[in-house]
Amino acid sequence: MDMTRETVAGIIGAVVAVLLQVVLAPALSLFEAVPNFIVAYCVVRAVATPAAAGALVPFFCGLLFDLMGGGPVGAMAFVLVLVTFLASRLYLMLNNDTLFIPVAILLLSIVLAELLYSMIVVACGVGAPFGEAFLYRTLPCMLYDCVIGLLMYPIAIRTMVDRPLGQPGTPVLR
Amino acid sequence: MALNFQNHSPAPLGRVSLIATLLVSLVCIGIYQAEGATGPLHSVQAAVAGIMTPAQQVSAPLGAAVESAEQSAADDGAAEETLSALREQNAQLVQQIATAEEQRLENERLRGLLNLRDIYEITGVSGRVIGRTTDAWNQTVTLDVGSNSGVESGLTVMGPTGVVGQVISVTGSTCRVRLLTDPQSGAAAMVQSSRAEGIVRGSMDGLLYLENIGADVNIQVGDVVLTSGLGGSYTRGLVIGTVARVEGSAGTDTRKIIVAPNGTVSLMEEALVVFSAADDAAERAITAPVTTTEGEGDGEGDGSEGDATGSGDSAENGNGSDNAADDARDDSPDDADNTDDEQGEGEEA
Repeated sequence: MDMTRETVAGIIGAVVAVLLQVVLAPALSLFEAVPNFIVAYCVVRAVATPAAAGALVPFFCGLLFDLMGGGPVGAMAFVLVLVTFLASRLYLMLNNDTLFIPVAILLLSIVLAELLYSMIVVACGVGAPFGEAFLYRTLPCMLYDCVIGLLMYPIAIRTMVDRPLGQPGTPVLR
Repeated sequence: MALNFQNHSPAPLGRVSLIATLLVSLVCIGIYQAEGATGPLHSVQAAVAGIMTPAQQVSAPLGAAVESAEQSAADDGAAEETLSALREQNAQLVQQIATAEEQRLENERLRGLLNLRDIYEITGVSGRVIGRTTDAWNQTVTLDVGSNSGVESGLTVMGPTGVVGQVISVTGSTCRVRLLTDPQSGAAAMVQSSRAEGIVRGSMDGLLYLENIGADVNIQVGDVVLTSGLGGSYTRGLVIGTVARVEGSAGTDTRKIIVAPNGTVSLMEEALVVFSAADDAAERAITAPVTTTEGEGDGEGDGSEGDATGSGDSAENGNGSDNAADDARDDSPDDADNTDDEQGEGEEA
């Protein structure tokens, strides 16, 4: 495996995201909503470095999340692998060097990840109907993760990307 | 919008890893659902949770700091009128502090004499909350006692004033407790006054619901709800909470009974893992009040006596936002004699 800057930064970022999830997320919970740094990080990475995103980092991050929490093991891993793949492919297809596309894909992907995860958790028997789960867990967590993702994205662009993404005169985050 | 339909298909190696990781994930989900609580994936999950515990301990002071910051932010946003009113209040409160401190010390002494463990003759081990759930879908806490202290899966866990949950996994030095408020929780329960049995369940909205109660049973706000011990999942006779609200009337299937939990576990609090309790614990618990309309003044005045029945504990703990539930606890000192009588009868029997 080529240990490019993107790869190294991706692995370090994953470790930081997991640590943040363990240490900081429980303290930042608002009512029942707990922020998910792992989801936000994996999606941000898929959008920031779509060509180097890969499936292994999201898989292991998701697996760790499942093992640390109490949900079905493999659920978050599955969701993250799928969503980050879709996000990176979508970004490569739609990228026009503006800020709108990555941000839109970022937010959509986070929403999709939380939705898919809640569907799996409900299907595995969380003890509540999907509507209730969506209202009290998915929606607040989704919003929380979107905020975190938006905060993470500029940092990821600064630290993980090898070359400038934008062209002169375009409103990009560089 | 320019679309880049270029050759962006994943490389062969990436495609293989993508399919492989998706398959492995699906297999893991399938195995996890199929296996029991002692299966390999559940065991690995418990082990990883135990390994992560030291890191989680860091989050407890962080949580306190965040709460403090939120309070500061709220204070900064206060209007000038509010600040003036608060200054006046502050002046009055300063005068009351000395009196309050005396009362607090007295309260502590009484509490030390009449704590929960003595009331229920509980044998168990107490532990400090050292970790909280890292995801939004599970209401769990981690305690710093594990199998080395005799803790096993399935044991009941109590907060300072009532049942808070059940041990779901254990490592050598830690155990994970699923709180009653978790939607996956369910405790066989009974209403103390009518002895009607049902199940107390958590929910996504954070409330406790008393379900499976007979439609003809009359449930009143303030009725005390205890664990019934049915099915053996929870130790019998321990206080879960009081009925805070009844939506609908007796005789209807759509009746919703909301229970205000007696015990909660906040940051850095301790909890008690119950190995066993007295056989007549149900008779020793808080006695349900006859009325809930009595003034608060009386209830507070007799609060120290209320400790004998456990109600004083709940008052200090600050649980139960519902006024009715608070009133119910304030009223309990009036019933202290009744409880003592019941205890006496139990012992005689």
